[in-house]
Amino acid sequence: MKKKSTALRLRGVTKSFAGLTALDSLDLDVKPGELVALLGPSGCGKTTALRIVAGLEKADSGKVLVRGEDITELPAHKRHMGMVFQQYSLFPNLTAEENAAFGLRMQGVGGAERKARALELLDLVGLSALAKRYPHEMSGGQQQRVALARALAVEPEVLLLDEPLSALDAKVRTSLREEIRRLQLELGTTTIFVTHDQEEAMAISDRVAVMSRGKIEQIDTPDVLYSNPASSFVASFVGNMNRIPAQFDGKHAHLLGGKAKVSNTDSAAPTSVVALVRPENIRLFKPAHNAKAVADATVLNRSFLGPVSQVTARTADGHVVSALLPTADTGDLHAGDAVAVELLAKQIMIEGSNA
Amino acid sequence: MAKPLSNTVDKGAANRGALVSDFTRQLVPILPLLVLIVVFLIWPIVNVAIMAFEDNYGNFTFDNFVVASQGVYAQAFGNSISLGIYSALLASIPGAVFAYIIESRGSEFLKRIINSATSVLANSGGVPLAFMFIAAFGAEGSATVLLKAIGLDIYAGGFTLFSYWGLVLVYCFFQIPIMVLVFSPAVQALRREWTEAARSLGASKWQYWRHVGFPLLFPSFSASFLLLFASAFSAYATARAMTVGTIALVPLMIGTLIDGNVIVDQFNLGKALAIGMVLVTALAMVPYLLIQRRVARWQK
Amino acid sequence: MKRLGFKLPSAGLFIAVLLAGVFVLLPLGSASEYSFRTPALGPGTYGWDNYAWFVSQPDFGTFITLSLLLAAVAAGITLLVLVPTVVWLNLRGQKLRPLMEFLTLLPLVIPVVALAIGAQTSLPVELQSNQYSLSFFYFVLALPYTYRTLDIGIRAIPLKTLSEAARSLGASQIKVIALVLAPVVRGAVIASVFLTIALSLGEFTLTSLLHWQTFTTWVTVISQSNILGAIALSVFTIVAAFALLLVVGLVSIRTKRRQVTEE
Ligand SMILES: Nc1ncnc2c1ncn2[C@@H]1O[C@H](COP(=O)(O)OP(=O)(O)OP(=O)(O)O)[C@@H](O)[C@H]1O
Ligand SMILES: [Mg+2]
Repeated sequence: MKKKSTALRLRGVTKSFAGLTALDSLDLDVKPGELVALLGPSGCGKTTALRIVAGLEKADSGKVLVRGEDITELPAHKRHMGMVFQQYSLFPNLTAEENAAFGLRMQGVGGAERKARALELLDLVGLSALAKRYPHEMSGGQQQRVALARALAVEPEVLLLDEPLSALDAKVRTSLREEIRRLQLELGTTTIFVTHDQEEAMAISDRVAVMSRGKIEQIDTPDVLYSNPASSFVASFVGNMNRIPAQFDGKHAHLLGGKAKVSNTDSAAPTSVVALVRPENIRLFKPAHNAKAVADATVLNRSFLGPVSQVTARTADGHVVSALLPTADTGDLHAGDAVAVELLAKQIMIEGSNA
Repeated sequence: MAKPLSNTVDKGAANRGALVSDFTRQLVPILPLLVLIVVFLIWPIVNVAIMAFEDNYGNFTFDNFVVASQGVYAQAFGNSISLGIYSALLASIPGAVFAYIIESRGSEFLKRIINSATSVLANSGGVPLAFMFIAAFGAEGSATVLLKAIGLDIYAGGFTLFSYWGLVLVYCFFQIPIMVLVFSPAVQALRREWTEAARSLGASKWQYWRHVGFPLLFPSFSASFLLLFASAFSAYATARAMTVGTIALVPLMIGTLIDGNVIVDQFNLGKALAIGMVLVTALAMVPYLLIQRRVARWQK
Repeated sequence: MKRLGFKLPSAGLFIAVLLAGVFVLLPLGSASEYSFRTPALGPGTYGWDNYAWFVSQPDFGTFITLSLLLAAVAAGITLLVLVPTVVWLNLRGQKLRPLMEFLTLLPLVIPVVALAIGAQTSLPVELQSNQYSLSFFYFVLALPYTYRTLDIGIRAIPLKTLSEAARSLGASQIKVIALVLAPVVRGAVIASVFLTIALSLGEFTLTSLLHWQTFTTWVTVISQSNILGAIALSVFTIVAAFALLLVVGLVSIRTKRRQVTEE
C-alpha cells in the first residue's frame, strides 16, 4: 500500500479562517516529477492548500511531508519550495537576472556561479535578451516567465504555481502553459499547478485533483476524470455538460425520448432529476429516418470549431441542448431548422432536480 | 531646388505649429491652477529675490547677503539647520515604523482614525501646541508631576522646555504625524507577494528587508526625511510661541523684521534671509535628487 | 494546536497603538487635566470654568466662523480648480505633468515666512485687503500634499477607458468629468479636501505675518490674558479639529459603503 517514493504528501490538512473551513482534512500524494493540477471553483481552498505547502500559512492540524520528511513545522524560508504567484511578484528594484538569481543569493552561492545559473534559466524561458530589464519594463507574460525562472533556479523540492497564467491574455496563456509543461518535464520538477480553468488543468497535468469545499473530490488522470467522473460535481466541473431535466425510475433516466442507465444511484432518488450529458453524447440530425427513440427540437445556432462544430437547439419542451458533431454532419443544419435529438450515451449521471 | 526646400521648411513649420498648438491645447485647462500658483507663490517670491539684491534706494547690491551671512544671522542659520536635521532624525524612524505597522496590520477602521489624527496633528503647532506642552511638561506640568511620581524626573538633568532640545521635543508632536502621513503610501505600495516570494526563495525576514524591503522604501524615506527637515527648518508659529526670542532662528528673525519690531539699517535684509532659506532647502534637495536618479530606472 | 476563532491583533500592532496613544494622550491628557482646574474654587477642584471663559469671549464665535469659512473656500478651490486639473493631466495632459509636479513641490521649498514677505511687498493692495486671499494662500500651501494625494488616487483608475466609454455613449466632455469620473475619484478627492481643511484651520504663520485675524491668531492674542483659559482653548482646538475630520472621514466611509451595496 505504501508507495516507495512520494515527493509530497499531505495528510489530514485542515485550516479554517474565522470559523470558515477552507481546508477540510485534505489528503494529497504527489509523485516525483509529476505535475498535479488543483482544480476547483473559486474559494474551494486551492490557494490555501498551496500556501500551506509553501509554509506561508500554518495548518490548524494535519501534516505536510516532503520525501517522507515531516516539514509541517518548518518555516517557509527553510522549505525549499519555488512559488509563482498570479502576478506582480517580481522584486521591482531588481533586474530580471537579479530576480532569477535571488534564491541562490539567499543560499550564499557566489556571484559568478549565481549569474551563470540565472542566465541559464532565463535562457530556458527564452528571455536571455531581457536579462538587464527591470520588471516594469517587461510585459505580463515576460514577467511570469522570469518568475518561473526565479522559482526554478533554486531547484525546488516542489514547484508551486498559483494561477500563474490567469492575468495574461488567452493567446499568451496557452503558449506559456505549454512552455511550463515542457520545462517541467525537461527538469523533472515535481509541480503543483493551481487553476480554476479546467481546460488548462486537463491540457498540461499528469493528474488533476478536483477540489470542492476544502476537499479533493477526485484525483486522477485527465481522461479518467473526463470519462469516468466519481461524482456529478466532478462530471459537471470537468468538460462541458448539458443539464437536462429527466425522469428517474430507480435505474434509468428517461430524457430526450430515450433512456440511459444512471451510474450514480448512491443518493436517495427523486423521480424528477437533472441528467448530465456531454455534448458529444447528443446527436442532432434532420428527421428523415425516424427509427430510434428521439425528441424534436429547433436549431438555434451552429458554431464552427474546426473538425467539429457545436450546435445548440431548443427541444419541444423548451430546454436548450448543445451537441458536438463532426462538422461534416452539420452542413444541412441551419438556425430555425427542425431536427431530431438523440441521446447517444448508455450511461449518465444525475443530480437532484433542484441541486 | 528651391521648391522642395521651401516645402520641407513649410512642413517643419507646420509640424512645429502642430506641436505648439498641441502644447497650448494641453495648457489651457490647467491655466486656472497655473495662475493661482503664479499669483500666490511665484510672483511674491520672485519679487523677494529681486529686492534682496536692492539697497534702500533700489540700487543693486550684495550687502544684504553679506550681513545675512554673518554674526547672529549666521548663528541663526546654523541653529535652524541643525534643528531641521535633529528633528528629522528623531521623527523619521518612529514615524516610518509606525506607518509600517499600521498599514501592514491595522484594520480599515483603525487606518481611518489614524489618518484623521495624523492630519490634525501634522497641522498642529503654534500657541495651542506650546500651551499644551507647557501644561504637560512645564516645570509644574501635570505630566511632569505624574512622571516624577513614578520616579522619572525629567527636570533632573537641567532640561527646560524653552531650550533648543525642548523645541526639538515639541516639534516631534507634529513631525512624527507628518512622517506617518507622507510615508504611509510608500508602505501601502509594498506587495505581500514580495515578502512571500522572498520567503519561499529562502530569504529570512532580515534578508527580505535588506534586499527588497529597504531598497524599495528608501526613495520615499529620503523624500519624507527631506520634507521633515524643511518643515522644522522653516517652522515659525511653534518656535515663536515656545522660545520668546531666546534662541536665534531664521524664521523668527524674518518675522520680527516683517513686523517692524526691529529696525535694521537695510530694509531688505529680511528678504535676503528669506532667499537664504530657500537656498538651504534647495540645497537639501540635492542628495534626494541623486537618490531619485539612482532609482529612476526601476521606479515607474 | 487549537486556535482561537478570531484573530488577535498582533503584539506589534498593540504596542504601536499603545505608544501612539501615550505620545498623543500624555501631552493632551495632561493639558486637559490642567484645563479643568478651577483655582478660584480652591486647589484640587475641577470644572468647566476655563472652557466657559473662552466660549463667552465675544469674538470666539466670530473667529471660529471665519476660520471655517476660509477653510471651506480653500476646500472649494481644491474641488473646483485642482481636481479637474489633475483629472485632465491624467487624461490628456501627460506632457505637462512634470511641470505640475515641480510647481506643486515649490511650497515645500519656499518657507512660509519668505512667502509672507513677498505677499506683503508685491501683491496689489486690493488683493491684500481681501481676507479671502488667505484661502488662496492656504490652497497653494496645501498643494504639495493635495496634488500628490489626488494624483496617486486618480492614476490608479483607468480614466482613459472610462472616459472613452462614456464619450462613445455620447456624453460631452464636461458631463464625462462631472458624472462619470467624479464619483470614481471620490476617495482621493475626499482625502485632499481633508488635507486642505486641516491646513487651513491650523495656519498661523502667513495669517499673522499678513496681519489678519483668524481663529489661530485670535487664540494667540487671547491666550495672553488667561493661562488656564488658553490651555483649555488649546485642548479644544486640537480635539475639535480631530472630531471634525473624524466625522468627515466616517461619513465618507458610510457613503462609500452605501455606494458599494447599491451597485
Ligand atoms: N487570510 C484569510 N482570511 C480569511 N479567510 C480566508 C483567508 N484566505 C482564504 N480565506 C477563505 O478561505 C477560503 C478558501 O480560500 P482560497 O484562497 O484557498 O480559495 P481558492 O480556491 O484559491 O479560490 P480562488 O480560485 O478564488 O483563488 C475562501 O472562502 C476564502 O474566503
Ligand atoms: Mg486562489
